[in-house]
Amino acid sequence: MSVEIELRGARVRYGPLEALHGVDLAMPSGRLTVLLGRNGSGRSTALHALAGIVPLSGGRVLWRGEDVTGLDAFRRARRGLALVPEQRAVFGSLTVEEHFALVTGDVGGRTPAFEAFPALRGLLKRRVGTLSGGEQRMVAVSLALLSGAGVLLLDEPGQGLAPAAAARMHQVLAEQAADGGRTVVVAEQQLRGALRGAAVVHVLRRGSVAFTGEPAEPGFTRRTRW
Amino acid sequence: MASLTVDLALAGIAVGSAAALTGIGLIVTYRATGVLNLAHGAIAMVTAYLLRQLVVVWHWPTGAAAALCLLVVAPGIGVVLDLLVFRPLAARGAGTAETLVATLGVFVLLVGAAFLAWGGDARADVPSLVSARPVTLPGGLSVRLDTLVQFGAVAVVALAVAAVTRWTRIGDELRAVVDNRRLAVLRGIDADRVAAVGWAFGSFTAGLAGVLLAPYLRLDPYGLSLLVLETMAVAVGAGMRSLPAAVFTALVVGVAQSELTALHPTAAAQPLVQAVGANLFVVALLVSVFVLPRIGGVGAERAAAALTRGRRTTSPVGWAACAVVLLLPLGLRAMDLYAALQVPALAIVLLSIVVVTGYGGQISLGQAGYAGLGALFAAMLSSGTFFGLPPLDEFAALPLAVLLVAPLGLLTGWPAIRRRGLALALTTFALGVAVSRFVFAQPFFTSGLVLNRPRGLSGDRAFYVFELALLTAALLVVRNLHRGRLGRALAAMRDHEQGAAAAGVPVPRLKLFAFAVGAASAALGGALLGMAGRAFDPADFDPVRGLLWFAAVVVMGADSALGAVLAAGLLVGLDTGTHEGVSALVVGVLAVLLGRFPGGLVNTVLTRREERGAPRAGPLVAPDAVLTAEGRRVRDRVRSASGRGP
Repeated sequence: MSVEIELRGARVRYGPLEALHGVDLAMPSGRLTVLLGRNGSGRSTALHALAGIVPLSGGRVLWRGEDVTGLDAFRRARRGLALVPEQRAVFGSLTVEEHFALVTGDVGGRTPAFEAFPALRGLLKRRVGTLSGGEQRMVAVSLALLSGAGVLLLDEPGQGLAPAAAARMHQVLAEQAADGGRTVVVAEQQLRGALRGAAVVHVLRRGSVAFTGEPAEPGFTRRTRW
Repeated sequence: MASLTVDLALAGIAVGSAAALTGIGLIVTYRATGVLNLAHGAIAMVTAYLLRQLVVVWHWPTGAAAALCLLVVAPGIGVVLDLLVFRPLAARGAGTAETLVATLGVFVLLVGAAFLAWGGDARADVPSLVSARPVTLPGGLSVRLDTLVQFGAVAVVALAVAAVTRWTRIGDELRAVVDNRRLAVLRGIDADRVAAVGWAFGSFTAGLAGVLLAPYLRLDPYGLSLLVLETMAVAVGAGMRSLPAAVFTALVVGVAQSELTALHPTAAAQPLVQAVGANLFVVALLVSVFVLPRIGGVGAERAAAALTRGRRTTSPVGWAACAVVLLLPLGLRAMDLYAALQVPALAIVLLSIVVVTGYGGQISLGQAGYAGLGALFAAMLSSGTFFGLPPLDEFAALPLAVLLVAPLGLLTGWPAIRRRGLALALTTFALGVAVSRFVFAQPFFTSGLVLNRPRGLSGDRAFYVFELALLTAALLVVRNLHRGRLGRALAAMRDHEQGAAAAGVPVPRLKLFAFAVGAASAALGGALLGMAGRAFDPADFDPVRGLLWFAAVVVMGADSALGAVLAAGLLVGLDTGTHEGVSALVVGVLAVLLGRFPGGLVNTVLTRREERGAPRAGPLVAPDAVLTAEGRRVRDRVRSASGRGP
């Protein structure tokens, strides 16, 4: 497995607090990676550091071996990295259709979003701020799917969804890695459903890596009772 | 008659065009950056001053000077502001209150700088860019060339903006950046560039409006800034959204203002019509803020909570130093003591901002209006011109004036029930300007006033002691607002309005209460200011001065009573000790830098000292937590546990 993007010795500080204490996290290319950990363990911070919206206070971000630590977030996005943040992941004042127009020019390009989330078909004209939390998640993830980005980073994509919808969401993301050949990184609280098929699981605890390996490895369940 | 109407309409278009340019610039900046730039007027003023400097003093050719001012300096100011002030704030995700204070900081900074560079005297010799010679249009209508050019400038700028937003990607990018900056960046949009373009363009329109307007009036640091600030009405009236609506409103108000001068009603109504006619943009601003309670379509904003940090903002050492400084003037020479008389009075006015904004979380830019009303009512009561009341003794007039102004706090308290953030700031500002224009500037209220100090206190020393006593009383009242049940309710309302309401805090009533207390405090301070100077001077209560006061309080820490007293000392001390305008400059610089020390100066100093002095507290306990006996036991257990643990 070649490495698509990785944090190496990454440290992130928020004022007096350090949220990541020099972690090494590698995301295999074209596979599904899952970041696990409870609240405050540094999952979101790791994703934000990969996407470039929080600066590192130490360490590096490598993308296909190239050091992108100093690259602006918008330049990383233009190079094909899409982060779906946990909160405020949509533009509340734009309609669903306008969201799609931001990432894909032609109407036909939207098909993957409708295949993944058929419910969106009837909501095209609605302003996203008026949709339910779950529908907003679908719009947010659709944006990443349609963007053509090769690296998808998703912060708790299943949050706020009904169990069946969350399972569907995880299924869609696993397929993106398996069939689409995209590098997919999902941060979640628990390893459920389709996420069990992940190539690599990283478990974070209090800003450090507690476990890295395959879900089937013997150490996983023992080390991840968090 | 018809020709007079047409002539007046054409004259109105001149002012209307400048207002339209302001409206376009404010809306574009707001849409690009989410910031309503209150410093717009100050940028216009500085650009006009610079043009005058280049042409009149340094004898540049007008064309070259105008090109430099409009194409280089004005957009440059915008870019510099973006780089130094607003980009760091945006990157931090600062809320409305913080950006608002930053724009206020820029405003007072530029006004202060203009004061220092060019003095406060009005200049009537600003060169006009286009000659006023008449040209005859096809159809036989004779128009002045400058009117034509102004109108043309508006049309060109408006069409250019419309074209750019419609046919280039930047329009979509603008909407995305304003809606959710971080997400726009994650979608590959260079938000910094979009914001820089927005600021450069906004400043360019400000400069253009400034140099077009300046030849029509006498240029001084306050006047033009405030005039342009008033024309903010057209942007607000257009909901900070629609350019055609802004241009239309601007031209209609401009023409209407001009036509009103031809109206000659009965003698009784004459002053009112004149006042309305001269200040139609203020009326438009008032109407807009009351018709549109949710400006910019953004409803739920964290109000002023971001201006405070909810930490300890007082310290015995600070208060002791403060007391010493306040007692010092008693030993001063007569001249200096006279100047020092303003400090306690101003401190009481500034305390009103602490109560309303710092404790209550409501942004109020109109406190200068209440201070002025306090002074005016005290003067009217003691002069016997208060609606048929006999002349009262000053000892009675002072408290009565305060009691009369307190209920007027509902003027801003009532709108505040449904408004937050920007909308509330604009409403309070509009009311402050309206009070200044329709009350303080009207001879009906202000003629024949005398304002004396209370009997037995006419000497400076005695009056100063009297002021100190009242300041102490005010501080004690304010202190009680910060503690107990009431203090907790106010803090809850400030930090999270809906949460407070859900927890049983009567939010509307509490807002009215905060504004009433604020109005009373401002009135007391204002009346003392008037008595100290033995006159009611409307210039002391200029709305621009109110903005300066607000910025000064926030800089010191909005919820710090100690900070308010220090701010008063700073404002008076700097201006009397050095040149007028220095205090504005200092407050402006500090306000602009507020992003670097959130929560205000006093707060920052105290926190730093605590962090340095005290040993690091355990992981679960805030450094300044006041614990019960049970809490202390828990803390000790936690500390000993974490000491043993890994």
